[in-house]
Amino acid sequence: MSREDQRTDGGTATAGISDEPELKRGIFARWVSKAIKNPERAYRAMFYTAAVFFLVTTLFPFYWLLVVAITPESAALGLVPGGFEVGVFADVFVKIDFARYMFNSLLLATLTTIVVLVLASLAGYVFGRLDFPGKGPLMLAILAISYFPPAAFFLPLYRLFTGNVFPWLSLYNTPGAMVLPFSSLFMPLSIFILTTFYGQIPDGLEDAARVEGTTRLGALFRVIVPLSAPGVATAGVLTFIAVYNEFFFSFWMTDGSASAWAPIVAGILQLQRAGQFEITYGVMAAGSIIAVLPVAILVVVAQEKIVSGLTAGALKE
Amino acid sequence: MASVTLDGVYKRYEDVTAVDDMNLEIRDGEFVTLVGPSGCGKSTTMETIAGLTQPSEGNVYIGDRDVTTLPPKDRGISMVFQNIALFPHMDVYDNISFGLRLRKYEQEEIDRRVEQAAEVVQMEGMLDRMPDEMSGGQRQRVAIARAIVREPEVFLMDEPLANLDAKLRVHMRTELQRLHKDLDTTIIYVTHDQAEAMTMSDRIAVINDGKLQQIDPPLVCYNEPANQFVAGFIGSPSMNFVRGDVSDEGFSSSMGDVDVAFDPTTVGMTAGDQVTLGVRPEDVYPVENADQVTAPTEPFTVTTDVLEPMGDEIFVYLLTEEDAEVDLDDPDAGGQLLMSVSPDSDIQEDQQMEVVVDRTKVHLFDADTQQAIAHGIENVAAGGGAESARAGGDD
Repeated sequence: MSREDQRTDGGTATAGISDEPELKRGIFARWVSKAIKNPERAYRAMFYTAAVFFLVTTLFPFYWLLVVAITPESAALGLVPGGFEVGVFADVFVKIDFARYMFNSLLLATLTTIVVLVLASLAGYVFGRLDFPGKGPLMLAILAISYFPPAAFFLPLYRLFTGNVFPWLSLYNTPGAMVLPFSSLFMPLSIFILTTFYGQIPDGLEDAARVEGTTRLGALFRVIVPLSAPGVATAGVLTFIAVYNEFFFSFWMTDGSASAWAPIVAGILQLQRAGQFEITYGVMAAGSIIAVLPVAILVVVAQEKIVSGLTAGALKE
Repeated sequence: MASVTLDGVYKRYEDVTAVDDMNLEIRDGEFVTLVGPSGCGKSTTMETIAGLTQPSEGNVYIGDRDVTTLPPKDRGISMVFQNIALFPHMDVYDNISFGLRLRKYEQEEIDRRVEQAAEVVQMEGMLDRMPDEMSGGQRQRVAIARAIVREPEVFLMDEPLANLDAKLRVHMRTELQRLHKDLDTTIIYVTHDQAEAMTMSDRIAVINDGKLQQIDPPLVCYNEPANQFVAGFIGSPSMNFVRGDVSDEGFSSSMGDVDVAFDPTTVGMTAGDQVTLGVRPEDVYPVENADQVTAPTEPFTVTTDVLEPMGDEIFVYLLTEEDAEVDLDDPDAGGQLLMSVSPDSDIQEDQQMEVVVDRTKVHLFDADTQQAIAHGIENVAAGGGAESARAGGDD
């Protein structure tokens, strides 16, 4: 529609009838009238509304965390911080050994990611590239296990890891007590992602690698895995984040002290006792923000791969 | 360099037998082509030699070694794949040197060999390209360089030219022949394109339904096909087949008047045998050209159907019976005959004409077993008094 047809009231000028009186319309009525003629406007408005809604609901808690952290104890809490105190971020590391908690978490997440990627790669190769009897039921079983509530495993594992089953096996307060259950809990998702990716690598490439001098395993790690980089990155990042955020096993499989490999969750809880008689929300909030940072950085760095990884599986080339 | 021997190899899948009692002996330094229609088991045969597939039964030998259970990497082979199969995440240098690096060669040795291989396939100066930056022909050359750089004993090629355009295919064909001349390595080549098979090989192994039909030099396969399948598969356009039976006077077709007089006893047949007569399009002549043929048959009447001018020759579809229904999709259907004539011929569509067949170039196949009975029937006295018909093709 050309510009000349547009009348100031939002209607369309009709050729020849120039003396038609303008309608009396308010701003809203005018917008509606334009939107009816051009539905794109309505869709765009809906998109912005939805986007703003999601941004507010997800980012506001984070903003509130920031406000709680930097508002000095003396000032009143409000939507706009009543003061500005960055000292709490240092307090986090001074009051307790928060760095060690972070290190524990990062180590647990890294270890689990490595275990999951190696084992899920092997499983993904078998499920994605080989045919064998019972393949369907076995995949279904893995899917079913991934839906078990983790709490169902807790009691037997707790008794096992505290040495109640085998006296020589005591993993309580060690990384093993968390890496083992995390690995098995987060493995199914990675297996599914990697199965899809490895299944799409052409047979010829694996054959070529085997003829050139690798074993099947060599072909997997030298050719199939590098070519499935987006899938491996997706599986890795999802596992890393899931472990880093994990609460249940992290909380119960250690006594909560930094030296017992307790992860960051325990660290934030420890910050409750940062003050002597009061609950130090400010320090806790600062600790939470610091705890979020590694994951936020990881997601920003890997987001392109994750997005391509999550969507690539759905499309067959 | 080494010979390759397949001894009684079977490959069975749940519902099909892909390779059925394959016995092959490929000599040292020979260029052998496995040829056959799609799904005939030629690729499976090659994968068995490469070790990518385990045979259900039988043994594979490379040189004197029984390699049946060895993994591909220990067989001293290299392979060029139909889909080229360059590693997309590696540049040309890394692709070519992949096998050498895995075998922990010295860096200088790797450099020297990669340089040399790149020179053979004329890809010097492109070593840092990625596969997706190259054309199909360049990629194929890199794949060949990757295969020759390890100096394997046996070179396997699984339809390496199938994905290239027609012009490049002809070019690469001559390059591969030159390569074979230079390297003098045993080459086993799989293709469904009989033109590739004819032009490049020392010997052709024709495979159908997982069974070896014939293994012979290209011209022997062409002139003396072992059975009706080989006769129909080798040669383009395909050989004409005319069903008929044998009487004391010789062959007479069940449709039309395609008759070839001979004494059945001289080729070990008796009157009443059902046979198929095979004759190539270029061995059918219009009757006015019969003097070009040393031993023409009696002329017989046909009707022309469709003409296909190819430039250097014209293919004329003939109906042996005027009202025969012709199924162009089925060259074996009775009642039709394809003739190749020179381009200056004035044959029109839908005209009656007389043609003769070169007796020395006809083939007789048993109608039941489809095995060849005789190649070329000469020296027959006219009038049914066949005196010395001879089974040719022993030269």
